[in-house]
Amino acid sequence: MAKVKLNVKVLRYNPDTDKKPYWKTYELETEDDVTILDVLNEIHWNIDGTLAYRRSCRSAICGSCAMKVNGRNVLACETGLHQFNSHKLKIEPLPGFKIIKDLVVDLDEFFAKLERILPYLILKKPTPDKEFLQSPQDFDKIQEAAMCILCGSCTSSCPSLWANEDYLGPAALLKAYRFIFDSRDDGTDERLDIINDRNGIWRCHTIFNCMEACPKDIKITEYLSRLKVKATENSI
Amino acid sequence: MYKRTFIFDPGYYKFVGSWAWILHRLSGLGLIFYLSLHIWVINSLTMGEESFTRVTTFLNSPVFKILEVGLWGIIMFHAFNGVRIVFVDFFKGSLFHKKLFFAMISIAFVLWAIGSYLLLSHISW
Repeated sequence: MAKVKLNVKVLRYNPDTDKKPYWKTYELETEDDVTILDVLNEIHWNIDGTLAYRRSCRSAICGSCAMKVNGRNVLACETGLHQFNSHKLKIEPLPGFKIIKDLVVDLDEFFAKLERILPYLILKKPTPDKEFLQSPQDFDKIQEAAMCILCGSCTSSCPSLWANEDYLGPAALLKAYRFIFDSRDDGTDERLDIINDRNGIWRCHTIFNCMEACPKDIKITEYLSRLKVKATENSI
Repeated sequence: MYKRTFIFDPGYYKFVGSWAWILHRLSGLGLIFYLSLHIWVINSLTMGEESFTRVTTFLNSPVFKILEVGLWGIIMFHAFNGVRIVFVDFFKGSLFHKKLFFAMISIAFVLWAIGSYLLLSHISW
């Protein structure tokens, strides 16, 4: 462990006083093995208490602290200083979402889109009396997709979403994949109707920003490609 | 609330996927431009032999030879990145899309170099 001097640029915005976001630079000294969230805490607790950001679990599982650091969407709590070559940090809110204050973005639309694809098990067959069994092979199809923590990193990194706010976005489509390819689910047709739309799956141009951004390393584009094949097969 | 607009976010354009996408779009626009030019040339046929000869003589100038080499490059990139997209969409190409991009670019580059040599040395098939 050693002390390092950090130069941290943060995009600040206060809706009550600012017309536009602006960059504010903080100089501080920390240990070299801390995370980005520790750096933000240090600023918030000891330097500038007005800095707003979301955090909760600090274990990379709640998805609250997703933000853009040095050009890439990450979870602040799991991203260490050692992952960057320089001691200069550039921290900004997730791109593509509306800024409420500083690093806090508006996720209402993000979750509204998630709700649109019916993110729950739809059953048309009678519910079994005991456990609902699924073979390991069937579970493998959805295991990775089910690991999504809904942090919004992928959706906000997608150029298709920057160009068109109505696009469902990778996170919602990944959730659609998770249920459409679930062997227990019976809602495939309803969901395919929703995503096989001009603002649905076909806005994905395989740009791969979502896969660069995903903190859980989910192969989002691959699952979206399978959805495209499924949607095509279903409409033939 | 403040809505930032992103037409070009430099942060995310350091990744292979973004560049492949942008170059694919730009090369597509280039091909549309070429197609219009092509239709204009063919159109001169309908106005008689003299007109067609005048247009083709104009197109045989060195400047157009250089442009043809560029066009060939655009076609090669667009075609082979298109093959990459087919792999991504149908054959799990997402799992190795970066390697696939560089492989396709290499093939496109070799074919571009051969084609350019043939174009510039005035050899016709």
